[in-house]
Amino acid sequence: MKSVCFIFNKPPYGQGSGKELLDICLMCSAFEMPITVIFQGDGVLQLIENQQPDILNIKNYSKTFKALKLYGVETVLIDAAGLEKHQLVTENILNIGEIANSKIIQNVIQKTDFSIML
Amino acid sequence: MATFSLLITANPYSNQGQYSALEFTKAVLEAGHIIKRIFFYADGVLVANRLNCPPADELNLTKSWAKLAIEKDIELTVCVTAALKRGIVNQAEAERNALTSESIDPAFELSGLGQLTEAMLASDRLVTFG
Repeated sequence: MKSVCFIFNKPPYGQGSGKELLDICLMCSAFEMPITVIFQGDGVLQLIENQQPDILNIKNYSKTFKALKLYGVETVLIDAAGLEKHQLVTENILNIGEIANSKIIQNVIQKTDFSIML
Repeated sequence: MATFSLLITANPYSNQGQYSALEFTKAVLEAGHIIKRIFFYADGVLVANRLNCPPADELNLTKSWAKLAIEKDIELTVCVTAALKRGIVNQAEAERNALTSESIDPAFELSGLGQLTEAMLASDRLVTFG
């Protein structure tokens, strides 16, 4: 089976790309493709706890990230430099993955058949 | 020889992604490779609107895709969820949602995201144009 990696590199809600990428990810999981999810750069903002986009009449898809494991997504990597840039620590973000440096992330992307970023 | 699929999210007339994808598709075919499927997603679905009417001295992207698809027998698949949000509907969806008319160009087909995954599994490369 071909493997796929999803790179979230944009902040949530200002644009639709986070939800759109997540929807592709869930569909690939239904096809049982091996999936890696990466939060890189501004994409780490997707993982901030207690988001309330419903105030802006925007659907809250943040909870779906917590369910990634249930969908069979084994590897979730969170870019250490992205966290540092936004002064986030593990206590501020959803506990769904491992913190990784850019070298590890680069290796994973190289080994994957497809990488998708929106 | 390789098999390619395309994922297009670019808004048709606001940026160059759609035109680049069109030219890329032609180049892939000219080099003797195969296009499995072209999947339109997010704002990319807007190109499937048959009512798009750019000025006569500008390229009509909807007609360009339709012409290429018919000549080269390529599947142009449009994500149904993204399309309905943006007013791109076929006859069945128009009736289901009590809309006054259909708006999709007949060269394009509404379908689900599963068609993207299925295309990936059957392709060597997926190229995104955003």
